[in-house]
Amino acid sequence: MTFRENYRNELRAAIRQLSDRCLYSAAKWTAELLVGIDPDAPPSSSSGASASRATPYSSSSGTGGGRTLHLHRHREGSTSRRRIRSGAVDVISTPLAGVSYVSTPIPDDGDGFDGSGDAYLLAKSYFDCREYRRAAHVLRGQAGRKAVFLRCYALYMAGEKRKEEEMIELEGPLGKCNAMNSELASLERELSTFRRTGAIDSFGLYLYGIILRDKGCESLATSILVESVNSYPWNWSAWSELLSLCTTSDILNNLNIKNHWMKDFFLANAYQELKMHEEALRRYECLMGVFRFSDYIQAQIATVQYSMRELDDAEVIFEELLRTDPYRVDSMDIYSNLLYAKESLSSLSFLAHRVFLTDKYRPESCCIIANYYSLKGQHEKSVLYFRRALKLNRKYLSAWTLMGHEYVEMKNTPAAIDAYRRAVDINPRDYRAWYGLGQTYEMMGMPFYALHYFKRSSYLQPSDARLWIAMAQCYESAPLQMLEEAIKCYTRAANCNDMEGIALHQLAKLHSILGHSEQAAFYYKKDLERMEAEERQGSNMIEALLFLAKHCKAMERFDEAEVYCTRLLDYTGPEKETAKTILRGLKIAQSGYPLMDVDHFAP
Amino acid sequence: MSRLALGGGGGGGSTSKDGGGGGVGVFDITPHKIAVCHLIQVFAPPAQQAVPFPFQSIAQHNRLGLFLFSLTRSCEDFLEPPLEELINQLKAVGGLVTNWLSEHLRSSLLALSSPDDLFNFFDKLRVVLAAPEVANVEDDQIFLDPNSHLGIFLRCCILAFNLLTFEGVCHLLTNLGAYCNSTDSTYELPEDDDFNNESEMHDLLDVFDKYGHEYGSETHLGESSSLHLHAPKSACNFDEDNNFTEDNLGILRSRWQVEGYLNAQADFLEKDANSFPLNSFNAVLMQLQKIAPDFHRVQYLQYLNALHHDDYISASDNLHCYFDYSAGMEGLFSRSSSPPSDILLGRYETALLCLGTMHCHFGHSKKALEALTEAVRVSQQNNDDSCLAYTLAAISNLLSEIGISSTVGIIGSPYSFGTSTGLGTPLSTQQQLLVLLKRSLRRADSLKLISLLAFNHLALAKFDLKHVKRPLLSFGPKSSTRLRTCPVDVCKELWLSSNVLTEFGSDGLSLSNDNGAFSTSWLKNLANATSPWLKNSQKSRHSLINDFDVFQFHAQPSPVPGSVLQLTGASYLLRATAWEHYGSAPLVRMNALVYVTCFADAASSSELSLAYAKLIQQLAVFKGYSEAFIALKLAEEKFQSVSRSCIQLLRLQLLHERALHRGHLQIAGQVCDEFGALASSVSGVDMDLKTEASLRHARTLLASNQFSEAAAVANSLFCTCYKYNMQIENATVLLLLAEIHKKSGNAVLGLPYALASLSFCKSFNLDLLEASATLTLAELWLSLGSNHAKRASSLVHRSLPMILGHGGLELRARANIVVAKCYLSDPNFSISEDPYVVLDPLSQAAEELQILEYHEMAAEAFYLMALVYNNLGMFEEREEAAASFRKHAIALENPQDEENPLTCGV
Repeated sequence: MTFRENYRNELRAAIRQLSDRCLYSAAKWTAELLVGIDPDAPPSSSSGASASRATPYSSSSGTGGGRTLHLHRHREGSTSRRRIRSGAVDVISTPLAGVSYVSTPIPDDGDGFDGSGDAYLLAKSYFDCREYRRAAHVLRGQAGRKAVFLRCYALYMAGEKRKEEEMIELEGPLGKCNAMNSELASLERELSTFRRTGAIDSFGLYLYGIILRDKGCESLATSILVESVNSYPWNWSAWSELLSLCTTSDILNNLNIKNHWMKDFFLANAYQELKMHEEALRRYECLMGVFRFSDYIQAQIATVQYSMRELDDAEVIFEELLRTDPYRVDSMDIYSNLLYAKESLSSLSFLAHRVFLTDKYRPESCCIIANYYSLKGQHEKSVLYFRRALKLNRKYLSAWTLMGHEYVEMKNTPAAIDAYRRAVDINPRDYRAWYGLGQTYEMMGMPFYALHYFKRSSYLQPSDARLWIAMAQCYESAPLQMLEEAIKCYTRAANCNDMEGIALHQLAKLHSILGHSEQAAFYYKKDLERMEAEERQGSNMIEALLFLAKHCKAMERFDEAEVYCTRLLDYTGPEKETAKTILRGLKIAQSGYPLMDVDHFAP
Repeated sequence: MSRLALGGGGGGGSTSKDGGGGGVGVFDITPHKIAVCHLIQVFAPPAQQAVPFPFQSIAQHNRLGLFLFSLTRSCEDFLEPPLEELINQLKAVGGLVTNWLSEHLRSSLLALSSPDDLFNFFDKLRVVLAAPEVANVEDDQIFLDPNSHLGIFLRCCILAFNLLTFEGVCHLLTNLGAYCNSTDSTYELPEDDDFNNESEMHDLLDVFDKYGHEYGSETHLGESSSLHLHAPKSACNFDEDNNFTEDNLGILRSRWQVEGYLNAQADFLEKDANSFPLNSFNAVLMQLQKIAPDFHRVQYLQYLNALHHDDYISASDNLHCYFDYSAGMEGLFSRSSSPPSDILLGRYETALLCLGTMHCHFGHSKKALEALTEAVRVSQQNNDDSCLAYTLAAISNLLSEIGISSTVGIIGSPYSFGTSTGLGTPLSTQQQLLVLLKRSLRRADSLKLISLLAFNHLALAKFDLKHVKRPLLSFGPKSSTRLRTCPVDVCKELWLSSNVLTEFGSDGLSLSNDNGAFSTSWLKNLANATSPWLKNSQKSRHSLINDFDVFQFHAQPSPVPGSVLQLTGASYLLRATAWEHYGSAPLVRMNALVYVTCFADAASSSELSLAYAKLIQQLAVFKGYSEAFIALKLAEEKFQSVSRSCIQLLRLQLLHERALHRGHLQIAGQVCDEFGALASSVSGVDMDLKTEASLRHARTLLASNQFSEAAAVANSLFCTCYKYNMQIENATVLLLLAEIHKKSGNAVLGLPYALASLSFCKSFNLDLLEASATLTLAELWLSLGSNHAKRASSLVHRSLPMILGHGGLELRARANIVVAKCYLSDPNFSISEDPYVVLDPLSQAAEELQILEYHEMAAEAFYLMALVYNNLGMFEEREEAAASFRKHAIALENPQDEENPLTCGV
């Protein structure tokens, strides 16, 4: 199929161009994608090899090539299973709903590589050795777009490096961290001039975009980044910067992006961030049609499934990923969360050991180890590793929240609140952290205060029954006793597919306390149905049966009451006796006159 | 991707709870502090004579010392001023010397160009501190005492420098370069956009090669230069200017100074929120938060700012955020630092207390009660007695402020106060209020929370003023109780509350005394004196916050903290109100005047406007409306920007009274509608306002002779007052009902109302109201026929001393007319014997009513006069009186004053 070959050609060129400009992260992503394309011809390991051979500038072409082969060897065994998974969508390799992709010409890269090429090579080597200022200095006065980009990018990196250093140096008594990238102002001035004169390429626009974002001009940054991805869609870094600026679905919907297949990756990721899981999953499965072997897509699908609480499916994918790519650390923190949720200690310890050996100074690795300790119940050690993760990446959202959970376990409530609050400040849409805050305050016996947080949390995630139940429990608690409000919350929870069935039971109970016996009976009946469907037994069942029996008797629906009573007779305990008494009463009421012999026949 | 390329090594910084490893440092050493150090060196050169080299007189020398002292203590702003401003201030300090001094300062700062220069500089500083050898100390030799304020400052600087790492020294040098150069770039135009960036780049890189860090600062300069053009720093107050954000280096002052700044801003906010535009002050706070993210007090200020601008959502968000981070440990009322050991517990009860007061402010009384009950529970649980005391006071404040007929439905939980007091029986709201106040008082007393004690005494005084104390037990042997309020108790409580003035040392309040306000105002005045072009803009602000700053210029700083002054002031204001109730006009005036003259500095604008309103009301009652309206105009100008609720209310009251007197019923009706709008429950429920609105409504109806409607309104008002236990208002309403019946000719029906009102007045010691009720009673008897004239006369004469001593124009005139009527209707009285017994009161009344423009009664007085003159056969006088009668009657019939006072000025 030719369109796959087209994709390959585009990607190969993109890898060359990206790594030529020292945009390594984007180049890495693209290269991973390249080897993920479903081979349409009989599989040739040579195509992978030629791909790696065709990138002479790639900094790590040797290892990259080796790894590609290695991946393929493993893949042969696993394709059959993947086929099954993606079989449904295999046919749809064209975009969704008949949208046609706009073909974007691959830009020619012959940008003044005659005289000044040598200087560029020198600058790039300096850059590779992280001597950014030297690299910029070598390129001073060069007018080619590529040279200008690399000079600016090197300056930006120098500024970033200095900023990171200053952040540590400047920790004053008030914990100030007003370290700014000192290059931003001059770079912005220069790039805006270039943009006005039109002497800027898409890479320059990308740099301009991130500079604007660092300066806080977010809307302008968004439009610049959109410009950049429209003219050069293969730069994943630009997409992900754009993604970080799309904090609401409104912003996302107002973006004016050309239809390119890269846009699907972006949209899928964006939906995922905005918790539109179904849509994200659909996009990813579409993309699987072309990039069948892409680890990235697999990992993303697994992450989405984890967020949708489909733990088993996600686990299968993660295991698969680890088998094909044993040194992978990306998104392994999600896997560890999953293992934590499933409480599989040994797999988690195995994972922790593996990532520890691969790269222990990755925030993800620290997080995995912390999860392991948390599951072991060693919360102090867990906190230690979460802190390390946060030291490596201060904006690591889930680590803040998880650390909050650990502090809650350790009963260190102020620290827990602090951790949760930081998570909330990084991303105010993180409902888990809001929920954690509420839970902590509730734990301290401040249900009224906790309500504020639960409200925030359920506002962000109105479909989550657990949040509504937490709120209802606050209203129901002894100091507040606001039962009407509690009922409202439980009703919401019951409508949100409450898994544990707390809501129905509580609703029934509260209604019966308030004397609304009709509603109480309704909910007891529903609860009974649910328990029957799930084949559960227990005290709730007895309670429901007892109430229904009494209620039906009171409403003079004797047949129904009899049914409930006979069911109650299956259980031992005081309720059995009560049921008998009711049955006796029923008989009397039904016959209209006292039946003496019932007493005699009673066991 | 930048982050990844940098490797995992980035992301420095630690969480706030790292034990504050780096936070122990004294303070940052900054270029500004180096400049101050340099000036100190000039001020106290080692081993010099009395007046060291550049100074010409001791006064000049001392002035520099005072200036330096103020510089290190002022809390005007949180950022350190740029060099230019320092030099301007220096020039203002005086004389030619300072010109030399500023040049010297600039050049020696510029000379510090390498790390080694800095080391040498601080070495030399050490010499300043070294005590001279005892042998050759001369009398007039100056040296800096290492324990003096400046000495400590110097030592801190030296210590901070010695603690610096080499990187720190490099940073300091970079900042110093920027600090010195910022003055030069001030007058430069911002670069054009089409500058030749190649060469610029080249130059910059060259510079960079030479000086290492100079490069980074240069870019800073480019930014700041354009911003410098907007306004000199001293001029830009937050209300004018939002964009000083990236001004100067963004270096914070010392923690002490920043805290002082924030406290001062909080005080200003509470005093007069309207002079703080919501967004621009928020921008300032955001800036501060960006520079010092761990300084959580900023969020509290953001909360206050939102609160005072009625932004519920952001107030609530900021409140929660503040307490999440600070865990209540920054101590809102216990300024003394709490022991760090209980950091694990947190003090979230404070958060609940604040949440409760916030809901109270927004009028969510139910939520406020929930929050405060929870605060009570949590503080009991955590043994936080002081918080408990404050919470109880807050609850009682809530109960007394907001009309709650009973707490049963609201608290409704087993944790209600009734049971927690240990008394099994449910208590009425008022009784609960009393119990709470007593509990809070006891706690405050035992914890030595002086200001809370004063507040509680005030609240008790307010309670005693309005409520009869009943025994709390509803069973058991009853001790005999006099069902009267006790003015002595009120006076005692008021006196106790003003005791705070003498005892404020023990509450930690004295700590806040030394808050640098004096230094701040000293520096501010300096700026004013030097820059005449600023005077206009400053003046407008000055008029708002009194003449405090001007006074402070030469005066000693006030030894009493502002909060204490405010509490004491409040006691005087309450005294004025109490005397208003008890009916002593001179004492009302006196107390209000004391408040306005002595406590205006500390008072919030709403309290101050209340005092003004009281004074103006007195003026209207005793001097007539024209004078009152002149005063009102002045007051309106003074409180222009303030939410003028108090003044606005006063204006409506005056307009209504005047309209009723003049007989402009249409206008009176309009004003009544305005009252109704103000009292609508859209913006919270104010029971006082509500009762006043319906009272005035009833009076308007009465004036237009719609008796049954008026009676209906008054009746429903009585029911409301009874429900909410507002006894004093009851007395007024009953009197009004008596008036209505009197006017409608149903004197017999009126009598019981008047008597009931009388008994209310007696049990609440409302002497003036009692006199006026007696007067009404007399009028009622009179209208029952001439055989009751004797009784009426004795009643009137009994209340005459009170009325003539303390009553207003209207009351006096009414009394005089009733006196005359009593004589006239007495069959035994013959007019020819002593005509002046009748004529004197009548002419007196006529005169006073004319001042009031009370046409109806003036007409009546003149009518009576004409009758008397007629009887006496004095026809000329009779004609004169008749003419006056005619004039007033016509004025009453057709009000010629068509202009609507609601729309036009007054």
